[in-house]
Amino acid sequence: MLRELSSMRETFGKLLVSLGEIHRDLVVITADVGDSTRASYFRDRFPARFFNVGISEQHMVNFAAGLAAAGMRPLVTCFAMFLMRAWEQIRNTTARMNLNVKFVATHAGLSDSIDGSSHQALEDIALMRVIPNMKVVVPADSSEIMRSLPKIISEERGPVYYRIGRDYSPPITVDINDEFRLGRATVLRDGEDVTIIGAGPVLWNALEASKELSRIGIRAAVIDMASIKPIDEDTIERYARKTGAIVTVEEHSIHGGLGSAIAEVVVKRYPVPMKILGTTTFGRTAKSQEELIEHFGLGKNSIIKAVAEVMGSGRRSRGS
Amino acid sequence: MGNGKSIEDLELLAIRIRKHILRMYLNDQSLHLGSSLSSVEILTTVVFKYLRRTGDPINRDWLILSKGHAAPALYAALAEAGLIPFEELERIHSINSILQGHPEISIPGVDMSTGSLGQGLSFGVGVATAIKIHGGSGRVYVIMGDGEQDEGEVWEAMTHAAARKLDNLVVVVDNNGFQLDGFIDDIKPKHYLPHVWRAVGWRVHICDGHSIASIDRSISDAINSKAPTIIFAKTVRGKGVVEIENTKSQKPGVEVVKRALINA
Repeated sequence: MLRELSSMRETFGKLLVSLGEIHRDLVVITADVGDSTRASYFRDRFPARFFNVGISEQHMVNFAAGLAAAGMRPLVTCFAMFLMRAWEQIRNTTARMNLNVKFVATHAGLSDSIDGSSHQALEDIALMRVIPNMKVVVPADSSEIMRSLPKIISEERGPVYYRIGRDYSPPITVDINDEFRLGRATVLRDGEDVTIIGAGPVLWNALEASKELSRIGIRAAVIDMASIKPIDEDTIERYARKTGAIVTVEEHSIHGGLGSAIAEVVVKRYPVPMKILGTTTFGRTAKSQEELIEHFGLGKNSIIKAVAEVMGSGRRSRGS
Repeated sequence: MGNGKSIEDLELLAIRIRKHILRMYLNDQSLHLGSSLSSVEILTTVVFKYLRRTGDPINRDWLILSKGHAAPALYAALAEAGLIPFEELERIHSINSILQGHPEISIPGVDMSTGSLGQGLSFGVGVATAIKIHGGSGRVYVIMGDGEQDEGEVWEAMTHAAARKLDNLVVVVDNNGFQLDGFIDDIKPKHYLPHVWRAVGWRVHICDGHSIASIDRSISDAINSKAPTIIFAKTVRGKGVVEIENTKSQKPGVEVVKRALINA
């Protein structure tokens, strides 16, 4: 089924139930969005381990911190945007005490297309990435949720910000069989002329761009950087050396997100010209996430245009 | 700790703890003196009469200093409990001291890193809930300030605690009548708060926050009650340093504090 379009939250909700069967100490906390996040499936299966704290995001975060401190394995889930309301609680309690709380932030990026700018978190990667002890993961699609979330819940101690969308999930990593590892990138398509790095559903557009570029003889590598923190510095350097130019694409502000994280590595390890594609202002309402991706310049044609620009911008000769 | 000392023993301990705070102030005048001094009897009673520190996380008690700026009072109590060396107290705020400006869990005896107001109760509700899930015997004590009651998260937490009927949760408010910028009644009156907490479903006590016997009676009732309990402990900001008692200014001169130390 994951070979077709699938729903990120449906995948998450169903997976959460199976994780609940494995981990008897797993508790799920939400702020009155149990149905919207699909944490409702966990609620129906394990009512005693599900906590709806009401519309109280700040309390939700510190309540989960207390559960973790007393030895439970809490997973907090709500809309990415409204979790940001509790940034200071996440920073000052969860992260400062390095507590084992997992945050699954749904409806991130442009995925909540109908609700509009009030609901579209385009700053959350930046806000989470700067917090010490916090790790940040942005799975590309439902398949990557299936590969990464069980590992993160089972093996990773300490806080993780796990960012997913709502329903739109084109099949991006369905053929990837590598085990998910924090700090390791996945090369979706190899290439020698330019590198496109992305995270989340926009990797679909990156792959489409790469296929079209190959028709005119440009071999564009496409890399899935689901683990934004820690980030795979070696793969970034290897592809900077190999291709001499990088385009990044994300459903997030161009300030402080994936593109910024990669630029921080590139300037340190092997500077090459870059183009960072992302949003520059608040989102807006549209009838679909795909429309918004096009509207904000993250679609196939925008990526191709960025590739042309970065390749023509006096890029560094390769492999030197 | 928590070994049922007599009221007289506790009163002597409170005097020692107050003296530690004054000596710490002599070493560093940047500490929050007034709100540390107002908390002394509350902390003394909780730590030395009630707190059971041994056992696993669900069968021991937890102490959360939500008003983290009273850290010097907590550190002094923890030193008297044998968890922090006395000589460390005088090094508070030094770059190589374990004693940070606000509590950190890296400090022995500290259960929650605090300092940002309004967060301790939510954490306490989480711990108390985990204890309930496991059928543990632990209790959670949260010490809050009255100024702190302004924070919206306090409303979120107190309503949730009442909904969950957490009878293993005790809140003591150090009701010293001041917040950072001044007298509470001038900034945002809070005289209605006991009514609010009661309406939400909490058992509410009001006691004399400098009388160990009075605090003791309230906590004793709280731990036998079937509802979460909040104790509004009426206190005096700067208690023990007459010159600053019930005033906004909490930066007395060194000579004033030395005199208070002798009279304590």
